[in-house]
Amino acid sequence: MKRILSRTYGWVVPAILFLTACSTEPKPVPYGNANCTHCNMTITDVRYGAELVNDKGKPSFFDAVECLAAYVNSNPEEAQKASFLMVTDFSNPTELLKVNDAHFVRSAALPSPMGMNLLAVSTEEAAKKIQQEQGAELLTWEQVLAIVKNDEKLH
Amino acid sequence: MRNSINYLVTVASVLLPLVLAQTAAGATLTVCKTCALTSVKQAVQQAKPGDTVLVNGGVYQESRIEVNKPLTLIGKNNPVIDGNFTGQLIAVTADDVTIQGLTLKNVATSYTRDDAAIRVFQRSNIKLLDNTILKTYFGIYLQNSDNIVIRGNNIIGENKGRTESSLGNAIHLYYTDNVEITDNNVQGHRDGIYLEVVKNSQVRNNVSHQNMRYGMHFMFSDGNTYTHNTFRNNGAGVAVMYTNNVRMEYNTFEENWGAASYGLLLKDISNSVIHHNTFRRNTTAIHMESSSQLDIKSNDFERNGWAIKLMTTCIEDTFRLNNFTGNSFDVSTNGSIQENHFEHNYWDKYTGYDLDKDQQGDVPYRPVSLYSMLVERVPPSVMFMRSFMVDLLDSIEKVLPSFIPDQLIDEQPLMRRIDHQAV
Repeated sequence: MKRILSRTYGWVVPAILFLTACSTEPKPVPYGNANCTHCNMTITDVRYGAELVNDKGKPSFFDAVECLAAYVNSNPEEAQKASFLMVTDFSNPTELLKVNDAHFVRSAALPSPMGMNLLAVSTEEAAKKIQQEQGAELLTWEQVLAIVKNDEKLH
Repeated sequence: MRNSINYLVTVASVLLPLVLAQTAAGATLTVCKTCALTSVKQAVQQAKPGDTVLVNGGVYQESRIEVNKPLTLIGKNNPVIDGNFTGQLIAVTADDVTIQGLTLKNVATSYTRDDAAIRVFQRSNIKLLDNTILKTYFGIYLQNSDNIVIRGNNIIGENKGRTESSLGNAIHLYYTDNVEITDNNVQGHRDGIYLEVVKNSQVRNNVSHQNMRYGMHFMFSDGNTYTHNTFRNNGAGVAVMYTNNVRMEYNTFEENWGAASYGLLLKDISNSVIHHNTFRRNTTAIHMESSSQLDIKSNDFERNGWAIKLMTTCIEDTFRLNNFTGNSFDVSTNGSIQENHFEHNYWDKYTGYDLDKDQQGDVPYRPVSLYSMLVERVPPSVMFMRSFMVDLLDSIEKVLPSFIPDQLIDEQPLMRRIDHQAV
């Protein structure tokens, strides 16, 4: 009976492996072990990592929101086709957020890895909380792209 | 007799202002275990602007000391301020402060606050001298300040079994100008020296080693000079990015090994000078990207995996009088290179001749081998290194160049290694 089972369902395990291997899912940012695709720095700060997963499921990692935005600005076709554009939730660094679901915050009090003072959180309340505590500007992903394109730094 | 009177007058005229200056500088408050003042915090609170607080030997379990007036805080007989992981140790919130000769230790990692042993915010004329800083998140952290001296400090982090993310930088400067960083030893942190938007500063004679990420990291920081530093065995070497007008001279970049590691990463650098440096045993000695008008002269590249990785985004860079010895690859590139200039370098792989005995090879040298281009495009092909096929490939390409960029050529390679010491 056992043998029959393993014969009948023996293909399941390889099939699952095969399917998962091909699925396009955002992967956790490998902090300390990957270089930013845009600026080439080692990605270390867990509050700021970002990721682009292309149409074939290959992830590219970034050390900051501004690096992902700069990459998207200079590679618009690739960004258009990408399966996922993800940023880290600043308040909960193990979570990745889709850029269109994220709320972006720009605060002079919170320096980000590449000098643009940008970060992302999951809810509007979280963004407003930072705004009240530190003083900040709330932004959408489109606004972030524009700011990075024009290299508008605070200070 | 006349002479000795003259001598006395001279001595007096030198000493008198010194004595006066001493009194003008204010009183000295001594802190020790048996003194009236037994805590540094207490002494700093009681001191008046311009006073000196002398901390005598012993261990002081304190944190959150706020220096809010011009003071000189000096340690004598190795006093230790132990924060016991209860927060930042010293915050400087006044101008004209000197902190010297203290041992500061134990500051916890925090993901919300960048806690440091010494933190300075929006101040000027600060001197941090000869301190020892152990097991802290950030060591010295300055923000929006100017006229700073950081000299002779020994900053040692604890990085065993820890990741980059849980470590801060040993010396961290953010929007700070006119800084002198000299004779420091920094190790065991995320970045040894981190400069972001720091202008007109000097980084000299420091040793930065065993840091998890960069020995030094330098962003948006124009007009700085760094000389006579040693960057050894750091996670990824030294990164210099988005900056103009940098001078890098007499530095040693060594033992930076790893898949994504290099001696020096140059990204978006222009109008800068890289002279008299030694690059020894790095995976890639210099990785250059989007960098222009760099003068790379009189450097030694010894036993690196790649001496130079020159990306096609680089233009108008000049390589002169450098020694390339024992590198697996001298120069590699990812496409056709324009307007970069190589002349009068010594390449140990050069097999040309010098019939007219002018010390210059009579045939040009092409530092990019066909195989290096292949490796750049298909990284796993590196396993065929030193095989017969690869040698054959390179030899054929040397005789009949067709794939390697024809612009990338040293027309007059030198026959002998240049002795930079003698020059």
